[in-house]
Amino acid sequence: MGQNIDLTPAVNLTESPHVEELTPDTDPAVVTSAAPAHQVVFEVEDLDVYYGTFQAVRDVNINVHRNEITAFIGPSGCGKTTVLRCFNRMNDLIETARVDGSIRYHGVDLYDRAVNAVEVRRRIGMVFQKPNPFPKSIYDNVAYGPKVAGRTENMDDIVEKALRGAALWDEVKDRLKASGLGLSGGQQQRLCIARAIANDPEVLLMDEPCSALDPIATARIEDLMQEIKDEYTIIIVTHNMQQAARVSDRTAFFTTEVSSESDTRTGLLVECDTTDKMFSNPSDERTENYVTGRFG
Amino acid sequence: MSSRPLEPMRHGFREELDQLRLQVELMGVRVDENLERMRDVLRTGDLDLAALATEADNEIDAMNVSLTERCYLLLSRESPVASDLRFIVSVLRIVSEFERIGDLALRVVKLAPHHHLLARHEVLFDILVTISEEAVEIYRVALRAWSAQDLHLATELATQNRNLDLYYERLVSELQRLDGLDAVRIAMAAFAAGRSLERIADHSAIVGARLRYLITGEPAHLAAEVR
Repeated sequence: MGQNIDLTPAVNLTESPHVEELTPDTDPAVVTSAAPAHQVVFEVEDLDVYYGTFQAVRDVNINVHRNEITAFIGPSGCGKTTVLRCFNRMNDLIETARVDGSIRYHGVDLYDRAVNAVEVRRRIGMVFQKPNPFPKSIYDNVAYGPKVAGRTENMDDIVEKALRGAALWDEVKDRLKASGLGLSGGQQQRLCIARAIANDPEVLLMDEPCSALDPIATARIEDLMQEIKDEYTIIIVTHNMQQAARVSDRTAFFTTEVSSESDTRTGLLVECDTTDKMFSNPSDERTENYVTGRFG
Repeated sequence: MSSRPLEPMRHGFREELDQLRLQVELMGVRVDENLERMRDVLRTGDLDLAALATEADNEIDAMNVSLTERCYLLLSRESPVASDLRFIVSVLRIVSEFERIGDLALRVVKLAPHHHLLARHEVLFDILVTISEEAVEIYRVALRAWSAQDLHLATELATQNRNLDLYYERLVSELQRLDGLDAVRIAMAAFAAGRSLERIADHSAIVGARLRYLITGEPAHLAAEVR
């Protein structure tokens, strides 16, 4: 894992006092839960996201813990994906997007001017809703990131390790030169996961990774998430509440509110707690109404 | 800013849950009717009424099976969570408690042929009748609590100190003093009746405890149910 890699020359994680301080005892968790407290990877404080003058999300406060799966659930338009994209600065690619508040990654402000967004995205990988392999061979799909990053290790080893990590190796080891686009939807999504983990990230962001997959392919991805969570920290956006209940350790519920003046909708975080609590006895009535499907 | 007005959803499922609550109440009323018969049979030894109670218990058993199957169906079809899951799992527990209460009432009813023995010993008989009234009253609190989904009544049931335990102690003392030719037969019948009536109150308290957990969702309340 790349714990020792700098985000920038100016901000060295290994020298950051915050890394040492992030122990369960000093964890300033917004989340109160009975789950074993893993090290905090992300601390989000008072996060607001704007697209131009439109406020998409407001006042998000949440901690994401290492080697856990954190699920974001909530109705459409509540800002789950917007918040997810903030974790690896994907919103930077949208010209009008603006982020207020702070997201600290091991104590380092991700939006600090000195932080290199490309390095952020290498350490914090993303898997999208629709499998999107490059129109290249299976091998090249996986090798692309490490090559661009100038990795010097044996590329065959990197590719095999990533494909094994994504539980795809046995299915593709005899046709590594075949096009990635020739794989089934579920295989393509696992290829995208292999492509992400080939960059040796610490965090995987998954934006509805199973929504385009059938139940069997979905089950394989869910199994895979459980297998790899010992090595990675995972944040998943999902519309499938059973999926959130099955795979995640913590669940964050977002909803929307409507401005009476402009009739625009802004997303907000209602509650984040252990998944067991959120699906058995959530603290906020809005969460209860959503997870039971009573209102939506 | 105001929260987005949310639309009620899953109408069919909500109606199913409402129906389930009412069906459990109906089963509870059937059990109540048999407890009333039990009390009369204990007082009078009426064998016809005893036969009627036995027949009615078959209906209670059938309701237990039917409601249990409905719960399994809803669990598999609707994947309920949070309060809905607690509700369905609680229904499974409560119908089982009602069915058990019905069986215990039937044990008392089946002592009808020994009524003359019990009635012969006035003090003992008075204690048994008192215990039966107390047990039926506790059951009725449980039924009222379920009907109204009333946390206060449920908590009262789950935490109360009962007079019934004192009466039961008195019953045991009286039994120890029995002598004469029929002493053993009287003691066996009176003990069977007293024990069944006490258990009816216990199972009613479990209904209260389960209802309290259903309403609050507090794990501590689930633990309190097991005793």
